[in-house]
Amino acid sequence: MNVKDAVCPFCGCLCDDIEVEIEGDRLVGVTNACELGATKFLGGERLKSPIRREGKAWKEISYDEAIRYAADMLLDAERPLLYGWSGTHGEAQCVGVHMAELVRGVIDNTSSVCHGPSVLAIQEVGHPGCTLGVVKNRADLLIYWGSNPIDAHPRHLSRYTCYAEGFFLENAFRDRKVVVVDVRKTQTANIADEFVRVRPGGDYAILSALRTIVRGKTDTIPRMVAGVTRDQLIRVADLCLNAKFGAVYFGLGLTMIPGKYKNIRNAIELVTELNRHTKFTISAMRGHYNVYGSNEVNTWMTGYPFAIDFSRGIAFYNPGETTAVDVLARKECDAALIVGSDPAAHFPRRCIEHLAEIPVVQLDPYPNATTAFCKVQIPVAVTGVDAEGTAYRMDGVPIRTRKVLSSDYLSDEEVLSRMYALMQEALKR
Amino acid sequence: MRSIVYYVREFLRPEWLKKFFFVKTAPLVTPPYFKGYPTLTGKDCTGCFTCMMICPAPDAIAVLRRKEQWEPEVYPGHCIRCGLCVEACPEGVLASGRVTDLARRDATAFWHSFHLEVDESLCMRCGNCCVSCPINRQIDPQLAGTGTSTSDEVIMRVSSGRVRILHEEKCTGCKTCETQCPSGAIRVARMVEGVQFLDGVES
Ligand code: SF4
Ligand code: SF4
Ligand code: SF4
Ligand code: SF4
Repeated sequence: MNVKDAVCPFCGCLCDDIEVEIEGDRLVGVTNACELGATKFLGGERLKSPIRREGKAWKEISYDEAIRYAADMLLDAERPLLYGWSGTHGEAQCVGVHMAELVRGVIDNTSSVCHGPSVLAIQEVGHPGCTLGVVKNRADLLIYWGSNPIDAHPRHLSRYTCYAEGFFLENAFRDRKVVVVDVRKTQTANIADEFVRVRPGGDYAILSALRTIVRGKTDTIPRMVAGVTRDQLIRVADLCLNAKFGAVYFGLGLTMIPGKYKNIRNAIELVTELNRHTKFTISAMRGHYNVYGSNEVNTWMTGYPFAIDFSRGIAFYNPGETTAVDVLARKECDAALIVGSDPAAHFPRRCIEHLAEIPVVQLDPYPNATTAFCKVQIPVAVTGVDAEGTAYRMDGVPIRTRKVLSSDYLSDEEVLSRMYALMQEALKR
Repeated sequence: MRSIVYYVREFLRPEWLKKFFFVKTAPLVTPPYFKGYPTLTGKDCTGCFTCMMICPAPDAIAVLRRKEQWEPEVYPGHCIRCGLCVEACPEGVLASGRVTDLARRDATAFWHSFHLEVDESLCMRCGNCCVSCPINRQIDPQLAGTGTSTSDEVIMRVSSGRVRILHEEKCTGCKTCETQCPSGAIRVARMVEGVQFLDGVES
């Protein structure tokens, strides 16, 4: 049996044109998805049932036991941390926020280690952004800054930005120009019309130089800026000024380098500047398929996009203090619930050391690096494969992922709702 | 010191000075066999992409859609003025120097066939090749429009987790896929032979 128009639950592109082939209760073929998407659909070896650590060994336990353990852990904790959320659907994220409020915990998502700085910059100077559809139909200039879509969002160019036909363009990719700004020659740079190689950490200077040129003060630019020649900067500025519609996509190569949110702020201000001459937009290349959704859900429920602390009884937001990395590094939290992410693979050593000392429950279909730090792991259905739910594409468009297989696994939402119900009951008593 | 004296003496000879200031060279004219950048003759292009196939310089020629008409565009910065596209075009759309006259006089032509190969260890299945291929775009408008492949009639498509080559025989060898592949994973092998027809018989 073939299912058409399935939604790929891997990266922020959330491609909704995937065709999957099902044989019995197994997924055997994936069409239209890229390497990353196909691998996600076909999956690896999943955990059979919830497991609990007993000394050095794992013991299989029932869902009821596991959920009860997690609920008790959160209720007993003084300062629980609820972290992850980028790899799950919006409905589960809603329950997560309710839970965090109930136990006066800290809820944070993975944007605190990826696009958190972008969010801060956007809060300061706004977001001249647009949906991918607008870019596809109008953009004749694409700038990938500190991001390598071929590696992380392989179909971004072929489906959304460059290669597919645009309503206002006659020859799709031949009418478009691609500029790549990066510290090394990435695969995307191989197909770029202009590759700007920046000295590591020089992005802020390059952005400022481009702003200066756009402002007409070219003569103040030195011959070289952060490893880039003035001539090339002028060329890039001209490309921008002569474009009918330009779109900047930036990645972690701009947010996670020294300067952090200041870089993004500068990039947004460059785009604002360019908008005096032509049409320009800027957007973040969001990684996990629903990390954007996590920001959305948090914002509409608490007013803040990530790093929300309920210990005062109200939502309190102070990135740098209430972000998961900082809460862990200060050894503040005394229990952690991890949903749809793998902090042990990405967090600094100090944070992981603290994770090893406190009780941790993880919701994830697969064993991962964080499994080694768990007391209990609860396998859940994979959203988009054997569970459905809403996810937000990197441009903020909500897309309902589909269930293409049935399985006995509970979805994140089901597990969390049962956990939440138990907690409500316990607190009523 | 001696050599300096030698040079000064050499250059002060009246004969040398006269030649230096009053010599006459033939005026510069463009010889008739000069091949400039290919220009359009005004004949209708059928969009067969043969010119792109034969072109040895990356990104030097592209056949573009202009309103209802196909039209090759030559990019001077990339074009090396070899004239191969002019000779290969079956419709006489392009001209440069005496290329077409000579081909007609000698009854020469190019014969070609193509072979596509994808190195799966390099390929990210990003789909750039499939979506950019001009032949795929004609066969599957949905693919051209949204990057979503819907037909098995195309030359290649991303399916079953890899780029599957389905209809190699439809390939015109234009190399668009190769130049748009970010990973250098797809390769178009062009087998091109120059042939000559003698009294209507190919030799
Ligand atoms: S680009 Fe992203 S969403 Fe699309 S198929 Fe690949 S991994 Fe999935
Ligand atoms: S070879 Fe001639 S007819 Fe074919 S695409 Fe090129 S210009 Fe057009
Ligand atoms: S463009 Fe290259 S990397 Fe992308 S799918 Fe084609 S062969 Fe693979
Ligand atoms: S497969 Fe490649 S070489 Fe052949 S027609 Fe398509 S783009 Fe051109």
